[in-house]
Amino acid sequence: MILTGILRHYAMILLQSAPKKQTLPQVRQQRSLMRAINLRNNFNVISASSFQNRKAFMVQAFKDGAFLADPEARGKPRPNPMTDPAMMEGMMGMMKGNVAMMVPQTLIMGWINAFFSGFVIMKLPFPLTPQFKSMLQSGVGTRDLDVRWVSSLSWYFLTLFGLQPVYNFILGSNNAASQVTQQMAQMNQMPGMGPEQDPDKLFLSEAENLEVIEHYWILDGVEDRLLAKLT
Amino acid sequence: MAAELINPPPSVPPALALRMSQQAPRILQQSSGPSLPYPLSLLTASEAPETWIGYENLMLACLRTGDDRSARICLEKLTQRFGEDNERVMALRGMYHEAVAEDYKALESIFRGYEEVLKKDPTNMPIRKRRVALLKAMNRPIDATTALVGLLDASPTDAEAWAELADLYLTQNLYAQAIFSLEEVLLITPNAWNIHARMGEILYLSSLATNSNNDGNLMRGLCESMRRFCRSIELCDNYLRGYYGLKLVRPLAHFHSPQQPLSTNTSTNNPLKQTTKHLLSLLSKTSKPAPAAADPQFGDLAPPSLATIERLHELATAKLAEIVRRNAAGESGWDGYDQAEVIAAGELLGRDAQKIER
Repeated sequence: MILTGILRHYAMILLQSAPKKQTLPQVRQQRSLMRAINLRNNFNVISASSFQNRKAFMVQAFKDGAFLADPEARGKPRPNPMTDPAMMEGMMGMMKGNVAMMVPQTLIMGWINAFFSGFVIMKLPFPLTPQFKSMLQSGVGTRDLDVRWVSSLSWYFLTLFGLQPVYNFILGSNNAASQVTQQMAQMNQMPGMGPEQDPDKLFLSEAENLEVIEHYWILDGVEDRLLAKLT
Repeated sequence: MAAELINPPPSVPPALALRMSQQAPRILQQSSGPSLPYPLSLLTASEAPETWIGYENLMLACLRTGDDRSARICLEKLTQRFGEDNERVMALRGMYHEAVAEDYKALESIFRGYEEVLKKDPTNMPIRKRRVALLKAMNRPIDATTALVGLLDASPTDAEAWAELADLYLTQNLYAQAIFSLEEVLLITPNAWNIHARMGEILYLSSLATNSNNDGNLMRGLCESMRRFCRSIELCDNYLRGYYGLKLVRPLAHFHSPQQPLSTNTSTNNPLKQTTKHLLSLLSKTSKPAPAAADPQFGDLAPPSLATIERLHELATAKLAEIVRRNAAGESGWDGYDQAEVIAAGELLGRDAQKIER
């Protein structure tokens, strides 16, 4: 079982597609937006006149779409993500990940089912309440069996969830061996996969954000603050 | 590998660079010991990111101290690990070739190489930066500025590049542009006290160089400069450059004479001499300064009162004296200062003392 985990880890690494490189206009578009966000967050370090100049420039540029990666696409509705080859590639990457996870899982489950279902594998050295029956004796249909007996199928599940520290020890903490973390990661990915936002809209909303800023300067009264602090 | 190699200070002083590069033979020998064949080497090789950062810093130190052979070995190790096409390795290789280039022609061929690379992949930022640095080294500041502006157009969130641009503008005496660039740096890293102090220095230089006949502008520039220094001290206690500037900004009694230090090297803080002094003399000259200089339309701040400036000056003097004294005594916690800066501060204090004697 540990070996399957390790195998899966390396298979994931093999199947991982390198993140696609952005073209220069895309880099420019993204970082210009970042610059505007920086200006919005840290406006208080520059003087009011400098801020006004920058604001006027950026708002105008954003409204004209000067920083857009492809100005032609402006105002058009977004194309269907299924037809977009870049999107397809992302989907393929996800599919590959899923397949790599599913295949060994199915194989092992089939194997376990075929060979181990229906008999108990060990007896716990301490008594338990009957509530543990469903957890410890899946696959065994006897009602009167003592709860201390653990069926092989249940044992398989228990170890599966308990192996994470072992994988961490062998493969390093950021491994892809355990499917529990895999599923978590996918859950987190899902909202991000939604339709990408239109950059033009982002720019316009950022321009609005800039417009409403009320400027104050951090240097205002700094000498008094300093004197109060140091004397 | 030593800690200073893995995590060196932002600007490595020459002595430290020498010490780092002297470790090169030992480190390089250590790591090139016998290694197991491929499948087994996977088990034994302990690969940490620090190893490679260490190699990179070691290579830079070796290049600085002229140990080109060790630098070559470091570069080869990095290339072996990350491949020829890794952007960072490409930049390092370019740096190595620049360092060993014999003449101007060799530099030009390297420059053409960079152009080729950029034609293929214009997003290769390390190489773009190398290109700017090479232009600067080839003594073509105008071209370097153009290249850097191009880079910043594509990537305007790069604080390092903005700071470099500010320096380039400053060497061409374009103060307004330099100040703009530094403002961009501050927008990205709002709490960088050294940039605040640098801004104060440039504001001081520019207001002395450009506005010497216009008292209103001069005063506005000096006020902002003083406030920048205050901010840098507020962000970083005991920041020597901040106090130095603060002491300088206090106006000098004879205000028209000291223009000559402005033309000297801008990287020393000497020209910063007399900012507060200027400010004082200006303030005392205009009897009612506050309403005149404050321009509410642009939100400019009113100049501070005379008493505040005097108190700031006293504070700066006391603090500078403390720093110089404690640094000379080698007290623990006070020894991190750049020696040249401490000497300059001592000299500034000495000059003041002389005047009082007179």
